Amino acid sequence: MIGLLAALAAEVPEKVINPVVPDEIGEIFWGALAFFTLWALLRYVCLPPLLKVRAEREQQVLADQEAASAAETQGEQVRRDYEATLAEARSEANRIVEVARVASEAQRSQAVAVAEAAAAEERQAAMADLDAARAQALNQIKGDVASIAISAASKVVQADLDLAQNQSTIDDYVNQASGTR
Amino acid sequence: MLGLQTLVGNLTNIALLAAEGEGGGGVQFPPIENIVKWPALFGEDTFYAFNKIALISMIAMIVPALLFYFAGRKASLVPKKLQNIMEASIDFVEKQVIMPAIGPEGMRYLPMLVAMVFFIWIGNVFEVIPTSHMPANARMANPLMLAMTAWVMFIGVGVKHNGLGYFKSALFPPGVPKALYLLVTPIEFLSTFLIRPFSLAVRLFANMLAGHILLVTFSVLCITLWGFTPLVVVELLSFPMLVAFTGFEFMVAFLQAFIFALLTAVYIGGALHPEH
Repeated sequence: MIGLLAALAAEVPEKVINPVVPDEIGEIFWGALAFFTLWALLRYVCLPPLLKVRAEREQQVLADQEAASAAETQGEQVRRDYEATLAEARSEANRIVEVARVASEAQRSQAVAVAEAAAAEERQAAMADLDAARAQALNQIKGDVASIAISAASKVVQADLDLAQNQSTIDDYVNQASGTR
Repeated sequence: MLGLQTLVGNLTNIALLAAEGEGGGGVQFPPIENIVKWPALFGEDTFYAFNKIALISMIAMIVPALLFYFAGRKASLVPKKLQNIMEASIDFVEKQVIMPAIGPEGMRYLPMLVAMVFFIWIGNVFEVIPTSHMPANARMANPLMLAMTAWVMFIGVGVKHNGLGYFKSALFPPGVPKALYLLVTPIEFLSTFLIRPFSLAVRLFANMLAGHILLVTFSVLCITLWGFTPLVVVELLSFPMLVAFTGFEFMVAFLQAFIFALLTAVYIGGALHPEH
């Protein structure tokens, strides 16, 4: 029996390394120590400042976004106010232009009336002058026509004709002739 | 993906054949324990044995703590430089992890999830940092510890917000015919309380270990093919592949951190509202 056991012991192969089995407890010990230390360091020392500043940045971004939104709203209000003011100014300008137009139209009408009155006056004066000149010319023509006509008639009848006796006939003719023109 | 695997396999075979042709000994890939196990710097055979993985874990703790500390020390309303970057990382966790998975009430878990993302990511990214080339999460210790933390966390959150009714809601989903509980309840128990932490841990660990082995493989290939032989032309493929996989692993390092944190948040969100 002892011999059999000795033979079996002699046949036990050399220790074969199995890479799957964790045979070095030191590796587990140091690995666990390193990992849990890293975990604790990150949890309590290293990550909090970064997470804090990251949260602050997010808050800052949110605040900036809100401020930008408020500024946009305010800008929109300013734009609306500006447009309202602009519309008012345009309306006022239109009103002023209309008043000016009405006033200028009145002035123009008045000036035209004055000018027309003056022109009528001048025309009337001119007509009076014309009538006077025509009457004067007619009177002068009457005398000349009477003399010429008497002279011509005297020549025709070979007798002296009295101008005073025939004056009324000549005047009637001249008046009739001037009236027909 | 299949094509990529085929290419990797072919390259490996070429390198093996080449090395066998050269010296007859083949490529000497390092044993698995040489690429995942590290001797203790101190405390050998004690619970506090401090090796390379422990060192990376400590760096993964110190670096983000300092970054966040200096970012928050003179924090201003208008962020600049470091503060900007660290706030962006917080925003990322908030908007891509917490809000979709938990909602606004999940903000209280922000420190844990930020710690998770940075601890896993920095632990992973050591895979592609020269002189280190070892992701801390290619060992099961950290993924297991983180998965257990997530497990305790989501169960704790569930009990805190719903009392013992959390277990009832989780194991006996409302709206299911009673007869089906015989089938549903064991499945829910297994998936929620046993498989979740296991899948969380294995997903992270397996991805990082696979990436690590991939980079080691291509590094060994590049070293083996480097020499005055006609097969050095294969280096024209293997070296760019190594560079490409390094970039890929850099992306995976972050992706796994994100996925781990996101799933943790999903589990916490589910525990807050188990009726959903």
